[in-house]
Amino acid sequence: MKVRFWGVRGSIPVPGRATNRYGGNTSCVEVRPKGGDPIIIDAGTGIRRLGKSLMEEAFRDGKGTASILISHTHWDHVQGLPFFSPMYRAGNQVHIFAQQRDTHLEAVFSAQNRAPYFPVPLSAMQADMSFHEVVEGESFRIGRAKVTCTRLNHPWIAIAYRIEVDRAVVVYCADTAPFTDVLLGREFVHQAPSLDQPLPPAVAAELAQMRAGVVALAKDADLLIYDTQFTKAEHLARPHWGHSHPDDAIAIAREANVKRLCLYHHAPLRSDDENDKILATYREVVRAQHDKFDLVSAYEGLEIPLGDE
Amino acid sequence: MKIRFWGVRGSIPSPGPDTNRYGGNTSCVAVESAAGALVIIDMGTGLMHLGNALMAGAFGKGKGKATILLSHTHWDHIQGLGFFAPVFVCGNEFTVWGPGGSPEVLEDILEGQMDPNFSPLQTLKNFSATFDVRATQCGVPFDAGGLRVTAREHPHGATTALAFRIEENGRSFVYASDVGQPTESGPTPEAIAFFKNADVLLHDTTYHPEDQATRRNRGFSSYEDAAAAAAAAKVKRLVTFHYDQDYTDDDVDAVIASCRKALDARGGKAIELVPAREGDTLEI
Repeated sequence: MKVRFWGVRGSIPVPGRATNRYGGNTSCVEVRPKGGDPIIIDAGTGIRRLGKSLMEEAFRDGKGTASILISHTHWDHVQGLPFFSPMYRAGNQVHIFAQQRDTHLEAVFSAQNRAPYFPVPLSAMQADMSFHEVVEGESFRIGRAKVTCTRLNHPWIAIAYRIEVDRAVVVYCADTAPFTDVLLGREFVHQAPSLDQPLPPAVAAELAQMRAGVVALAKDADLLIYDTQFTKAEHLARPHWGHSHPDDAIAIAREANVKRLCLYHHAPLRSDDENDKILATYREVVRAQHDKFDLVSAYEGLEIPLGDE
Repeated sequence: MKIRFWGVRGSIPSPGPDTNRYGGNTSCVAVESAAGALVIIDMGTGLMHLGNALMAGAFGKGKGKATILLSHTHWDHIQGLGFFAPVFVCGNEFTVWGPGGSPEVLEDILEGQMDPNFSPLQTLKNFSATFDVRATQCGVPFDAGGLRVTAREHPHGATTALAFRIEENGRSFVYASDVGQPTESGPTPEAIAFFKNADVLLHDTTYHPEDQATRRNRGFSSYEDAAAAAAAAKVKRLVTFHYDQDYTDDDVDAVIASCRKALDARGGKAIELVPAREGDTLEI
């Protein structure tokens, strides 16, 4: 399979000279099994260019099939969907997978396309769309690929996906905070919680269980893509925002025995030079610790072949 | 008046090296009055960068005041709001004028963007600044920090968008983004009257006419429409704006060169053509 990054940014797209090399589009990763249909993870603004590229294939003739796995429905993970060209061609099949919500997924996704926010309602997009509710912990198949998922520590809850196909494994973990400071769920956390006090045992246990789920999901993966929007200091200032940092990602990668770790979901105001520095710093850390995995940082256009190609 | 462009792109932000010169952020324009009042027009992704700049001044101390004018509420005109740092500082005051017919309806539309499924802010109520939402009535002037503002509704695809005429000390700036012409006959006499003799007319120039021809239902102008409006209204300066998300800097260069020719051909040789570019300022 091939993994290709179309959007690597968190929170909001950031055009401009400072992001030319890593890219300013929000989250979107394409996983392409050998000879298979695309499995797309998240539909940030990066999916617009992916859609244009797909329109050069079977999708142009209305004969394409794509599956989109949504980690969660925050804007930076769905805002590109109304601009995904294959959706505007009759005959194309688009399967959207996302975590089960209080309302049906079709209602959630329709909200983005409705007036007065967008001129084309979901129902007027010509492709055949189907919505698949995912329950954390479950496992399902997309073509030859086996997909597994687990819960992450993020406001309103996000889920991580493991995709196994072509004798290789890719794991996508965004968005998530570390599993040490605050349990994030449905409640709005107004202010950064004090990190001096120990967590109530029940909360600590739930976080530990969530973390164990992530380590198990990432076990022996060829590639682990991980939310490292923050530096450690930024995380300490905003532990309730639901994002992690490279030290935490490295600890997870080490425990899960992955072969490669990819820093992902870069902060909007992080310049290319700052991203270079972060990567260089943590490559040193990984080398000094004699870790067995490679460290890379995601940029738009990065393509990683895994297993059978 | 001093005008600054923070976002000049249409539909969806378009990052990448080929949009560096004009910019890839969606619509946001700031107007500073001679007396120092701030009026922000539209809240595309450019708003985040405007907000970060404002935090160095009174807005960082919770002593900032601004008026926000919304042309309409398509995503590319409101998607920056959740990232506008001054709304998270207690003491700052915003008055928002826009479509919807009533303050309740407009507030509800803005609230929809903060729905917990989509935004970690979950509700506008989590803003710390005061956010006073009002509905504009077309043709009825209102005050924005000492500036006189009048709104006019233009067709925009299946919906409408507001244009704003802002006046101070006999000077005028018209913001007319997302303007769709109902037919190919060009701007209506009413639209031309609204733009009449403006010192600066900022007008939607999303498309080359050949691209517009295949997407007329989207409700955007070509540079031909903008040039026709500017020449007929005898404005002093025309600002091009809201470039298509797929247009590279070179494509936009071509839009501007063609727009110049279109102005000249319509008797608008005296009209200065100013391309909107992120970061540029314009004084009236």
